[in-house]
Amino acid sequence: MKANRGVLVVAVFGLFCLTVPVIAHHGFDTEYDQSKKISMTGVVTKVSWLNPHMRIFIDVTNKDGSVANWNLELTSPNNVRRQGWGKNDLLPGDKVNFEANPGKLVESRGALRLITKVGENKPLFVRGGPEAAQEGYKEDTTK
Amino acid sequence: MTGSYDLRCRVPQSAEGQSVSEEMLNEVGKKVLLKLLLVISVTIGVLATLPDLYSQDTQNNKGKPDPSLVLPQDVNKPVPRLPDGHPDLSGPWDGCWKFGPQGCYGGGTNNDIEQDLDMKPGELDSLLQPWARELRAKRKEKDEPYVGCLPEGVPRVNPYPTRIVESYTAKGLTHIFILHETGDSGAHRQVFMDGRKHPDDNDLFPSWFGHSIGWWDGDTLVVDTIGYNDKFWIDGKGTPHTEQMHTIERYTRTNYGTLLLDFTLDDPGAFARPLEYTFTFKLLRPGLEMMEFICLEDNEYGSAAGFTPADEGGEKAKQKEQQKQ
Repeated sequence: MKANRGVLVVAVFGLFCLTVPVIAHHGFDTEYDQSKKISMTGVVTKVSWLNPHMRIFIDVTNKDGSVANWNLELTSPNNVRRQGWGKNDLLPGDKVNFEANPGKLVESRGALRLITKVGENKPLFVRGGPEAAQEGYKEDTTK
Repeated sequence: MTGSYDLRCRVPQSAEGQSVSEEMLNEVGKKVLLKLLLVISVTIGVLATLPDLYSQDTQNNKGKPDPSLVLPQDVNKPVPRLPDGHPDLSGPWDGCWKFGPQGCYGGGTNNDIEQDLDMKPGELDSLLQPWARELRAKRKEKDEPYVGCLPEGVPRVNPYPTRIVESYTAKGLTHIFILHETGDSGAHRQVFMDGRKHPDDNDLFPSWFGHSIGWWDGDTLVVDTIGYNDKFWIDGKGTPHTEQMHTIERYTRTNYGTLLLDFTLDDPGAFARPLEYTFTFKLLRPGLEMMEFICLEDNEYGSAAGFTPADEGGEKAKQKEQQKQ
């Protein structure tokens, strides 16, 4: 029992070590509609490790068969790397589920909240870090 | 096997009339009591230590352990020292470990000075000169120079790590550099530690980080800065300042994991009185370092909402043109 508890403590601690809170160069409120949240599935076309904020481009097939290429903004590549994400962890062709806040004018530009590879349970990225995920995304939207 | 048995322990009586068994029991009792006391005291000791181990130095302001900050067991270790005996302030430090509705802060102010300094609503307005109050109310976040990748200035903190480099030369500690991960939008600050004075007015050109001279006051690094330009905003809300701004920063590393900053901002051009606050930097966890960050690389700020960043200089230039006409 003690051993199990020890393992649990180490496991929880390890989970914390894997990820760090995410802070961004500027707030998202001015550009993105925080009152709207979209959840979609698509195929990654490009992973852009550029400053000040990293971006992921995802093709999403609409109901009418047309395809929209979403431009999703994260935090800085450095902060994403500090979350434990390597350059080969998400590649063009990967199928993903994601959540985002759409742009106030250009809807297909979104502030990414969460992204998970299809078939995997653990999100690859969560805006605000793991704490935000535990709190149901009540994260600071300006980070 | 049936019948009644006296199972009590029959032992000789002691001189005081107490039975030996009672003495033995007392001895056993004392040992048990001692052990119990030991366990209780150790438990209390551990519990008393916990607030230190899991103190604010390893937590964010929600009271939760922050995985990017120094390990709990290292926080209260002694302050490391340089060969000349002064404290080693190198870091890297996290100045943005508190999280509020307006963003992160901690080692300085960030997006909302009123909130970051725990002022009452309206308190900042009462400290500002009327023109500064009006300008602050007029400014929009999207126009902030920082979102266009220009520096944040002082006392704003970058949301990414900061390192203090104590630069020793053949003449001793001649310079200290304060490096911000935000690269071009954070740049570096240069603090002259060689005893020089600020330049006279003719040679003092207003700049984003001003002219800084520093010295040690015991274990505290004092940084005195003048010569700031008036282009950066003190917070994301647009709190202005003037070229009269004079700052005094007193950096004290109080333990292995903590760097306190006693900060004084004196700008009679914009504020009714000097502002004095204490900020806190926290040491990053081993393995986390500063990384390259070139803000202008792909700044698409505003594209999702159909605007582009308008820098403060552009607005002013426009106003001047209008005034000429």
